[in-house]
Amino acid sequence: MILETGRVVASETVADLGTLIVVSAPLVAARAHPGQFVHVRPGERFDPLLRRPYSFNGIDRHAGEIELLVKPLGPGGEWIAQRHPGDPLDLLGPLGTSFVVHRATTHLLLVAGGTGIAPMKVLAEQESARRNVTLVMGGRTIHHLWPAHRLPAAVEYVTTTEDGSFGVRGRVTDALPQYIAWADQLCACGPWPMLAAIGRLRHDAARATTVVPGKEVLLDAQIAVEQHMGCAMGVCRACVIVTQHGNARVCREGPVFSLGDVRFAQGEPATVGLTA
Amino acid sequence: MPWRRPRKHVDRARDIGRSEEEALEEKAEHAEEDEAVELAAIDGASIVEAATGEAEDERMPSDLAAKLGAAAEGHEFRAWGEEAEDREVADREVADREVADREVAGRDRVVGTARPEDTSPSEAVVAHVEDGVDLEVEVARGLRLRNPVLTASGTFGQGVEYAELIDVSRLGAMVNKGTTVHARPGNPQYRIAETPSGILNSIGLENPGAAAVAKKYGKEWPGLRLPVIVNVAGYTVADYVGVVLEMEGTPGVVAYELNVSCPNVKGGTLFGCDPELAAEVTRAVKAETDKPVIVKLTPSAPDVVAVARACEEAGADGLTAINTVPGMRIDVAKRRPVLGTGTGGLSGPAIRPIAVHITYQVARAVSIPIIGAGGVTCAKDALEFLMAGASAVQVGSATFADPLAPIKTVEGLAEYVRASGLASIRDIVGAAQRGGKRDAGTEYVQ
Repeated sequence: MILETGRVVASETVADLGTLIVVSAPLVAARAHPGQFVHVRPGERFDPLLRRPYSFNGIDRHAGEIELLVKPLGPGGEWIAQRHPGDPLDLLGPLGTSFVVHRATTHLLLVAGGTGIAPMKVLAEQESARRNVTLVMGGRTIHHLWPAHRLPAAVEYVTTTEDGSFGVRGRVTDALPQYIAWADQLCACGPWPMLAAIGRLRHDAARATTVVPGKEVLLDAQIAVEQHMGCAMGVCRACVIVTQHGNARVCREGPVFSLGDVRFAQGEPATVGLTA
Repeated sequence: MPWRRPRKHVDRARDIGRSEEEALEEKAEHAEEDEAVELAAIDGASIVEAATGEAEDERMPSDLAAKLGAAAEGHEFRAWGEEAEDREVADREVADREVADREVAGRDRVVGTARPEDTSPSEAVVAHVEDGVDLEVEVARGLRLRNPVLTASGTFGQGVEYAELIDVSRLGAMVNKGTTVHARPGNPQYRIAETPSGILNSIGLENPGAAAVAKKYGKEWPGLRLPVIVNVAGYTVADYVGVVLEMEGTPGVVAYELNVSCPNVKGGTLFGCDPELAAEVTRAVKAETDKPVIVKLTPSAPDVVAVARACEEAGADGLTAINTVPGMRIDVAKRRPVLGTGTGGLSGPAIRPIAVHITYQVARAVSIPIIGAGGVTCAKDALEFLMAGASAVQVGSATFADPLAPIKTVEGLAEYVRASGLASIRDIVGAAQRGGKRDAGTEYVQ
């Protein structure tokens, strides 16, 4: 990872998803992979103090630019979302693990919820030239979906909305089973309840005694998770989640995990044992 | 059932209709692959490494088991730390090449990569602002450091993490993450919340246990060229002694800092809130080690000065003032505390005036050195503590916002010594206790 002062190139609002910021940061762009993130300093002073982690929403190595989808949450998020073209932006990254698409995969299934679209969009852009890619995205309303025209034409885009304002009415997981049966590999990013629902599909498939279409795909699925983060350098241990192998830091061992490694509890990340 | 595109009905077949160009392209790609396989066989690199000529930089998520496998026994992050370092060294080399390439256009954009040159003694020594300035201080009896800037416990891990990004050998010393006798999993989420000019945290002393820390980092600490002070935490006097016994003889360790902000199992009072208990822990640890012992004072104590005095009498070689201040944030939407444990410790610039005040009071009461801690972000903040009577400072939360904050503090102090015509930074220690400087303008704004 590296500390780089990037420069905002463009900024625009994308539906109700957040603000899309394009930043010229050649050194970060040169080593960024889908799923990894940058830790952005929300100001030049120490109030607000904590940096904000954003998954890459676009990686253009050629132009030396990265794209971030910023939800204006809290004073820090608002400050970052309000940056204008020409403004400097203090970046620390790229950080964490990335999605790994297997060489043999011909049918790649991507599942996104909310700002979890970011790494899925990067994967869609990078992989649609060599594989069949289907992106399933869920949102509350049509305004919480990624605009279709901002995806490569070769990507099959399936949408679900909770209010039925666009695409299939319901949640992503309602639409998933048939696509899982079709796919070779699954990558997902979104809110915890969505990931937990996919985790349940995996759990059921693993337990099933009959043939389950797409069982291998579920067993092998990769997910990127979110957690409140401090340093993003692996020192503060604020962002740990519980895995089958013990505590893991989202900033170092994650944010991309094997779905089977992550433990869930009632649609949320399982919590660390009791305080001593 | 939504409409499906017909071409995708091919059931898991590899051979979807391809144009001739595509077939040729694929053939060419495979030729490259074959070559890569041969190359890989020769030098033991992975196929991707052989093909690209660079170290493979994608981490498989399934590595997790290997990374965490030994965690249960407390031998945490053995494999992944090294892997990450290898990656980062490779990354840094790429970065350096790129920086050279972009000398005109983009050089000033890179603000803080630790270059291999900086840490390699065989290379020409890079000139630093602090060179030739006397910043040496005694931060505890028997512990002299090259400069008065330390990193605070819990904000600098084991030193190796930030060493990937900054030249840690320019700092005075580091205090490692709070270490207990046995491994601890830490507290439930959330563990961190932001507050005005600060952070509220409740990590719960997650650490792999003293034996694992000594085993792993004893090998890595000497290479950092940064003295290590081990932060010791426990719930009984025996816990503290146990950690110190386990850490004795670990390469790189120069002193111990006792975190007495833990509740005592007997009675539940914090060790640091009761002069008797604090003295007892200090005495017990002093009896087991010849290394300097520093006690980290808690602002929760009803009478911090009394605790400080008791520790000095019990043989403490130095004091750190202060640990975090207890605090709470409520999530208004959810109508419950943000942190998993309810309360947490407040740090950052928000607590600086509290920390400076306690430093000032304690400095009047004891004759052992004091390390100021609480919201130091720059040299000016550090000077407040030094003038209040501290011999050194710890930079903590500020490092999260700006990983260069500790080094900038060193540079700023050096510039201050030079600009003020002081013989050494030591001349400024306690200046505010001695009546101050009459010919300077008043500074009442932040």
